[in-house]
Amino acid sequence: MNEKQTILIIEDERSISNFISRALNANDYRTIPAYTGKEGLSLFFSHGPDLVLLDLGLPDMDGLEILAQLRGLPREVPIIIISARDREAEKVRALDMGADDYVVKPFGVSEVLARIRSALRRAERLKLSQGIQRDSYQIKDLTIDLAKHQVLLAGEEVHFTQNEFKIIELLAIHAGKVLTYDFILEHIWGPYGGSGSNQILRVNMANIRRKLKENPSEPKYIHTELGIGYRMLDD
Amino acid sequence: MSQRFKNLYHWLNIQFHRIPAIPRNFGVMALFLCCAYWISSILISHTGGENNSALVFVLAVVLISLLTSGYFYGVAASIIGALFINIYFMEPYDAFSLSRTGYPVAMLSMVVISCVVCALTARVKKQAIEAVHREKKTRALYEQNEKLNAEKAAIQLESERAAIRENILRAVSHDLRTPLTSISGTVSVLLESPEISPKNLTMLSDIKQDADSLIVMVENLLSVTRVQDGTMPLKMREEMLEEVAGDALLTTRRRFPDCHVELDLSEDILYLPMDPLLVKQVIVNLLENAIRHSGDTEHITLRLYRQEDWAVAEVRDRGRGLSSEVYQAVKAGQPMPRSLSGDSTRGMGIGLSVCQNIIKAHGGFFTAENHTEGGAVFRFGLPTEDQPA
Repeated sequence: MNEKQTILIIEDERSISNFISRALNANDYRTIPAYTGKEGLSLFFSHGPDLVLLDLGLPDMDGLEILAQLRGLPREVPIIIISARDREAEKVRALDMGADDYVVKPFGVSEVLARIRSALRRAERLKLSQGIQRDSYQIKDLTIDLAKHQVLLAGEEVHFTQNEFKIIELLAIHAGKVLTYDFILEHIWGPYGGSGSNQILRVNMANIRRKLKENPSEPKYIHTELGIGYRMLDD
Repeated sequence: MSQRFKNLYHWLNIQFHRIPAIPRNFGVMALFLCCAYWISSILISHTGGENNSALVFVLAVVLISLLTSGYFYGVAASIIGALFINIYFMEPYDAFSLSRTGYPVAMLSMVVISCVVCALTARVKKQAIEAVHREKKTRALYEQNEKLNAEKAAIQLESERAAIRENILRAVSHDLRTPLTSISGTVSVLLESPEISPKNLTMLSDIKQDADSLIVMVENLLSVTRVQDGTMPLKMREEMLEEVAGDALLTTRRRFPDCHVELDLSEDILYLPMDPLLVKQVIVNLLENAIRHSGDTEHITLRLYRQEDWAVAEVRDRGRGLSSEVYQAVKAGQPMPRSLSGDSTRGMGIGLSVCQNIIKAHGGFFTAENHTEGGAVFRFGLPTEDQPA
């Protein structure tokens, strides 16, 4: 790595901000703490960080508003949300507004680090591909060939229905990112496909899991974000 | 005195209205016409010649229309009255005659006057009845309004109370979680730092463990307050049980990286309504229970299956099994015995109570038993949708 990557931490609780900073510093990241939303925005413009950690419960402004402002910019910077355990609606909204990922309070250091690494890697990949879609994805021993419309698990073909394949394809294209139920439903079944219930998606997912011999307690390819959506692992 | 009259009047009124309408109205008409005839006869025998019988009959017609219902009896009485006057109280007596000068006019005007009076009284009566009716209606509306107001106030008070409770819980959970997160996080940063001596390392890992179990304890306390007083509804939503169980296992594994728990999935797809965070907590508690108290961390299994209309999750260990105390308490659905709050079993009592409460709030069942091949089995079932409520 030529230069240290910079992470902006917008979090009003100093003790939490401090330990995240320490952990990130120990892992070779440069950190900038901001304790209010306004400070966070101005530090963002003056420092141009590579990633933003954003607490949604800030004292001076709504975290979602900051998210909207950052997402309105031409430069796409990965944003990871910090939110409380029981505020799922808020998390889903943040993800639908373009946040890349989230961590839930109380969280551990290793968790935050893993999410940051994944988000940065994804951003890097997007920059390299310049929007050109790849025609095959590889996740561990799983190969998803979009051109041939084929999924190979350890070299052997696994048969999926049309919709199941579309879900896997969508997750693979966005590997590393949490996709909300609504996002997936809209992409596979159209804007009214879900009609208020995501049962169809959940059942498809359960079938995919069975065909991939995935155990939700030891996800190898697809991680379940309970009550939020799914994420394809990217390493 | 006047009270007695009032009572008497009331009683008469009731008795009077007990008689069926048609005989009553005819009776009234006949009675008053007879009276008028009788009075007129007396008057004519005393005064002779010109008489006031017309006025007497008009008075009778007024009274008849007051006491009967509708126009018919009043109008009929006025015509009969006019005939009576003509026949009995006018020359030539005892014969019908229209020959006398001006008599047709007098008779016609009497009928018209009687009819008008009769119509007027009928209208007044109708209005009186309407007024009474209106008053009744107004009173009923007023009473209903009062009742609604009282209900509204009660509901408002209840919802305010629930809102306050929710706010306090949120504040408490935030204020406890934040420092605990930072304690646990800071310690884990220190744990990875190279400058820490081995002796301090164990102390730090103790701090970390305690902070982590406090976090779990806080979550348990929050859930139990939410569920136990029943004022806060469960956040029900359709959820895949295997995803909830998987998430619970991931959480448990993060806290206890060294132990081995196996998840055994059902072929059936168990998609059912639940409060996923609470159900996850039940599974986390049961797994933690098995890991910490069974004395066996190698062969714990979490099995999901469908049993008739229940979606069942079962946590089994191969450890020392349940004491009869715990077994009895779970069976009776009672709080855990006090002896379990001792140091060695810290958290077990509250953990199991939380599980029982959460499952009860879902309308499910919760059992605990010793397996014939050794070890304890905790099992809970949640009603699936196709179950009759």
